[in-house]
Amino acid sequence: MSGLAEQTSETSSVPSSTVRREDCVLIEGVTKGFGEGVARVAAVDDVSLSVERGQFVTVIGPSGCGKTTLLRIVAGLLGVDRGEVSIFGESVAVATERKHIGFVPQSPALFPWRSVLDNVRLPLEVNKKAAASGRAVVDPVALLQSFGLGHALRRRPAELSGGMQQRVAIARAFVFDPPILLMDEPFAAVDELTRESLRHELLSIWQANKKTVIFVTHSIAEAIALSDAVVIMSPHPGRIQRIVPVNLRRPRDEMVETTSDFHELEREVRMEIRSGWAR
Amino acid sequence: MIDETVASDLAPGVLHTSTTAGEAAAPPSRTRELPTWVRPKMWLPPLVAMALLAVAWQLYAIHNPYVIPKLQEIFGNLGNRPGFYFHNALTTLQEAAVGAGVGMGIAFVLAIVMSYVRIVERAVLPLAVVLNVTPIIAVAPALVVAFGFGMMPKYIITSVLVFFPFLINSLIGLRSVDPLALDLMKTLHASRSEILWKLRLPSSLPFLFAAARICAPLSIIGAVVAEFVAAGQTNGLGVLIVTAASLGDLKTIYASVVVLAVMGIAVFLLVVFVQSRMLTWHSSSTVKE
Repeated sequence: MSGLAEQTSETSSVPSSTVRREDCVLIEGVTKGFGEGVARVAAVDDVSLSVERGQFVTVIGPSGCGKTTLLRIVAGLLGVDRGEVSIFGESVAVATERKHIGFVPQSPALFPWRSVLDNVRLPLEVNKKAAASGRAVVDPVALLQSFGLGHALRRRPAELSGGMQQRVAIARAFVFDPPILLMDEPFAAVDELTRESLRHELLSIWQANKKTVIFVTHSIAEAIALSDAVVIMSPHPGRIQRIVPVNLRRPRDEMVETTSDFHELEREVRMEIRSGWAR
Repeated sequence: MIDETVASDLAPGVLHTSTTAGEAAAPPSRTRELPTWVRPKMWLPPLVAMALLAVAWQLYAIHNPYVIPKLQEIFGNLGNRPGFYFHNALTTLQEAAVGAGVGMGIAFVLAIVMSYVRIVERAVLPLAVVLNVTPIIAVAPALVVAFGFGMMPKYIITSVLVFFPFLINSLIGLRSVDPLALDLMKTLHASRSEILWKLRLPSSLPFLFAAARICAPLSIIGAVVAEFVAAGQTNGLGVLIVTAASLGDLKTIYASVVVLAVMGIAVFLLVVFVQSRMLTWHSSSTVKE
């Protein structure tokens, strides 16, 4: 991938000479540990990554490799011990203040006392200063209708299936039209068939919007079907092991998963993850 | 199998998707059920238990008329002087309501501060524990000295009784927030007050109502105990019980106890009713056996 580069301590600290800082999410030499003294464990260690505007990048790796930690750092939910993150030339703090980040957590995290519509409206109700900056806002009703949830506007989350709840959570991330979406295993809590369905819905959504997406997952097939590049992380400490470009044609649909190129990539990513375990 | 597809002829940012049958939401139940309280399995068991207790009471009262009065004497006394009992009950209810309102209000505000500022929790919680374990009856005479024989000592005693359970429940409720929902609010750069009003407060409501279900009847007990130990007025069911006890008037004592029990049940049911209206989204309201 021309716009996606990775460095560890052995390589340069500048990810790409061709991409301007304003046009990418830039993670530079980020290190983050948990615990104190000798018990301190490095969750991510000297990780650098550049994701260009409009790219869909998936982070994959075994449990404990630091992929969620990395995502939470980009979301501004965790500080760093060392290194720096910038989002289209802005610091993470400024990006969150301007509501430039749409976050989809592992579980839908819907507010059970709010209706589906009110849950999607929530981002418009908080931090209104950012909303007043003139950025486009998507009509929540039209958005929910486009997500196939037009019949459930007044329903409470508890009345919806897991897949529908997750779809509401994704709609909520789209409503204030953020330039970057951070998705932390958003389909982990649903069954396999629903997961496949949601994956392809997300694919069609992204292909129409081309937002910058950083997507954390455990599913190799999901990673390849969705992304422009798969970032493979290895554990203890969490480091980027390799970035596998996904050069499958776009737009993609569910048929992409039946192609030999797809299976070849799937095998390559699987072998790479296994080699990371073996080290 | 349902296969619903919604066309995507909307503005940029609004996209198409489809709903498959596998994840269709469960439709709301169409069967019209009887209200819970009408069903015999709800009201029959307590009714039978009360009937058995009444029979046992009556049998004991017939053989021991100087220990407990017969039921007809108790309810006859109540029926003969309804205004008298109502007037006294009103005084006790006022003490309970004001005391509970103040105690729960202070506890809740303090819980909000403590949930945000750990150092306040560290400073205040030990004091609250001391206040909770100190026998309020021992402090009552000092309160009478400080505040006189009026209503104030009663308000304070009732407030102190409800303060601790409401403080602890409120604190736990305000902290028991879905961490992912909190993450979401932080990524939106929600202010502290937005997080409080839109997330912490609504998600703490089940805890607040659980506390209110304890504190509301407790406030009635608190008001009566306050009337026992910080006397000095002529009204209130607690005063009535103390006076009747000094005269050996068992009928008035037990009639007052009946009124207090009814008041306790009434305030408890009031909390349950408000909870059922406000917590329609919570599993305590939606999950049925």
